[in-house]
Amino acid sequence: MQRAMTNWIRGSAIAFVLLMSARPIGQSTSTAQDRPAPAVDLSGYWTSVLHEDAMERGAGPEIADFGGFPINEAARLFGLSYDPSRLTLRHHQCDGYVEPYQIRAIGNARAWEERDSHTHRLIAIHWFNQTFEGKRTIWMDGRPHPPAYAPHTWMGFSTGRFVGNALRVETSHLKQGWLRRNGLPESDQATTIEFFVRHGDRLTHTVVINDPVYLTEPLVKTTDFYRQPIDHENWLFPCDDGEQILDRAPDDVPNYLFGQNTFVKEYQAKHKLSAAAHLGGAVTMYPEITTGVSATSADTALLRPAPGVRATSQAVDPEPHDGQIHVWPLRGNLHMLTGDEGNIVVQVGDEGPVVIDSGRGRLSPQIVQAIRRLSDKPIQFIVNTSFHPDRTGGNAALQSSGSDPSVRGSFFSLQFRDAGVGATILAHQNVQNRLTALKVDPRGIPSDTYLEERRRTFHNDDSIELFWLKNAVTDGDSLVHFRRADVLVTGNVFTTTQYPFIDVANGGTIDGEIRALNDILSRTVYAHEGEGGTVVVPAHGYVSDEHEVVEYRDMVVIVRDRVRALMRSGATLEQIKAARPTADYDTRYGATSAPWTTDQFVEAVYRTLNTR
Amino acid sequence: MGTLDRIRGMRHRLRLLLVAGSVIAIALVPRSLQAQRGFAGGPPSPRAGAPIDLTGYWVSLVTEDWRFRVATPAKGDYTSVPLNPAGRKVADAWDPVKDEAAGEACRGYGVGGVMRLPGRLRIGWQDDRTIKIETDAGTQTRLLAFGQSGSNASDWQGASIASWDRSDSVMGAGGPLAFFGPAAARGGSLKVVTTKMKAGYLRKNGVPYSGDAVITEYFDRFDIGNGDALLVVATEVVDPTYLAQPFWTSSHFKKQNDAAGWKPTTCSAR
Repeated sequence: MQRAMTNWIRGSAIAFVLLMSARPIGQSTSTAQDRPAPAVDLSGYWTSVLHEDAMERGAGPEIADFGGFPINEAARLFGLSYDPSRLTLRHHQCDGYVEPYQIRAIGNARAWEERDSHTHRLIAIHWFNQTFEGKRTIWMDGRPHPPAYAPHTWMGFSTGRFVGNALRVETSHLKQGWLRRNGLPESDQATTIEFFVRHGDRLTHTVVINDPVYLTEPLVKTTDFYRQPIDHENWLFPCDDGEQILDRAPDDVPNYLFGQNTFVKEYQAKHKLSAAAHLGGAVTMYPEITTGVSATSADTALLRPAPGVRATSQAVDPEPHDGQIHVWPLRGNLHMLTGDEGNIVVQVGDEGPVVIDSGRGRLSPQIVQAIRRLSDKPIQFIVNTSFHPDRTGGNAALQSSGSDPSVRGSFFSLQFRDAGVGATILAHQNVQNRLTALKVDPRGIPSDTYLEERRRTFHNDDSIELFWLKNAVTDGDSLVHFRRADVLVTGNVFTTTQYPFIDVANGGTIDGEIRALNDILSRTVYAHEGEGGTVVVPAHGYVSDEHEVVEYRDMVVIVRDRVRALMRSGATLEQIKAARPTADYDTRYGATSAPWTTDQFVEAVYRTLNTR
Repeated sequence: MGTLDRIRGMRHRLRLLLVAGSVIAIALVPRSLQAQRGFAGGPPSPRAGAPIDLTGYWVSLVTEDWRFRVATPAKGDYTSVPLNPAGRKVADAWDPVKDEAAGEACRGYGVGGVMRLPGRLRIGWQDDRTIKIETDAGTQTRLLAFGQSGSNASDWQGASIASWDRSDSVMGAGGPLAFFGPAAARGGSLKVVTTKMKAGYLRKNGVPYSGDAVITEYFDRFDIGNGDALLVVATEVVDPTYLAQPFWTSSHFKKQNDAAGWKPTTCSAR
């Protein structure tokens, strides 16, 4: 017994020594600089302090108040063109705020940590803002940001780490939103760096916004919160859209033509500020602006596009170019494949896969392999959303790799020896006509076509509908809707990468394009505050929802309105191009080289516009 | 009491002894760790122990309250400042001509307003215990003294006491119970508390603070990549004379590599 007690004492003593030595040993193996900084506790209830920018963050900013924003010409013109009544449009009524703007909104916030229940490792910090129910997750577990073709959200995708006494957060994948809600845009290409620092019950948030589309320098904003000891309780922000203006035409998007925003003069007169100051630009946030801030004479040059400028897209190319096919899960049994110059959608299930579009055809073997990893069945159907080569280039190869058991052994077999050998290709009749005229590989020509508004089928436990979008980018465009999964595949009618490729020679028109975009919007349902819900897969670009489509629709309508106004004033095509009717969108979609330039787009609008 | 009970009692006493010994030993650990950190010869001077480097030239980025800061707003425009009735009365009576005549054109450049003005800062160490901030707007000088104010004079910038705020726990990392407390924060903030200043303006259009105000500031530095850095000054003005609640602002500055744009100006009351 005494020996046992002695052993217990020895053991305790050894454990004690080890305990005592643990910390110095830890220090000797890693320096303080190597270790991550200690966590800063941001948990709790916070209320934003409105002692700065109170007008903007409360009732709202004045129109044309852009001073202090390092914006470029495109952003300034976008803001001047913006008519606040655009918010009465059904698809804008519930628009949320994009993250860097949202955290400055009036209202309360709540923060809490998410930790692994076993290891207590910090997985994420959650931040919830009352206005528009902005809930964001800041991942603290070291996960990477998603690829460029992943969806964008109001809150974006955020990762964080502690640096010094601050939480440092990097955010990407933001939707298009506001730098200021008087029309100053923040693009979907913006990224942010944030710092959260706590001084007792005061939290100071600093955000650095980098936006290659609309900013010439980073925009820095700081916001203060004070900690509340009790729950604010009112957290929800319900929003459903409805009819606010009856009988409005579906292609009516409120906007001001360049130079015609009457509120600019009103602002200048009220505050006696020069246009060069209050219309923004990097110079307006530096001290030197104080010498030129007062109004001297009306400067109207800033109200219109500068002549001779040829701006091009500053957006990141969302498509991989590494010779590989990348797979992104959409919803349920639907997947997006990208890498062969555009997006392909694959539906799998008990039956053979349905493939929407076939890519350029350069990576067809890799596409077939990728589909085989998703399904052990051969491709049964291929659907073409148009005849364009980026939609049909892989038709022959994919068709040959598949088979259609639904016609093998049917009466078709009596007529066609090869019935069911190879996948069946579906499309609008005009796709078949165009491809036949082009004398492409016969295996790649659709054999199952439709002529009027709609084609439908039920496959892999889902209703699949094809809708003819008449004379949009061509005369044979189809919109594909997986009803159960609620996924829309738009073809080239909608992309996130360029102005719509209106192929006038093959039946495309500006009015048809606008109708088609509105057709898409008539089928979408958002999940929450104008985002999520129906998944929209563009021909090119990142996985979207209705917000990306409505911003794109707005852009097409607004450019149409400007070209039409110029045509009515008697301007020639060359004069219209020189007037730069796309000036506020060129840094997002513009191009001066093939395959589709800004000038080609403007010309397509001009050639097909009904000016009556 | 049997043998078994005696042994149990002995074990209990040994456990108590071990626990007591552990607590004493733990309490001694931070000192030994401090020695490892090189603090054995006493704490470093504020300058040597600075957790962040604030020195150099900084230019203000006026991206908030822009209209109120780049130009002097109209009299009575005190949007978003939580003035009480007495404060509003003073603001509504603002007369820059009177200020000029009284030799008080620098009222808008006092400690309560100068960090909000468009301009540049030159920050350096006057000595190992005093940070000096010079502003080109109004050519003002602020002395931030660690431990004891460098100025007792009732001037525009008042008396400022500085300290490094490392966001430690109440007990403080490295304190007697730190073994089970938080690790010491790396980085930190400069905390400055200013009192005994002449009454001045929060905004140049006569929005007042009194000489009894207490102004607390936190200076944070953030590195944002490509060699760029930001200085964020979070300010709280507590003034029962003219404010209905503490007035909070946070002003930000961008680091400059040189003195470009440094242009000292005289105070302007207008």
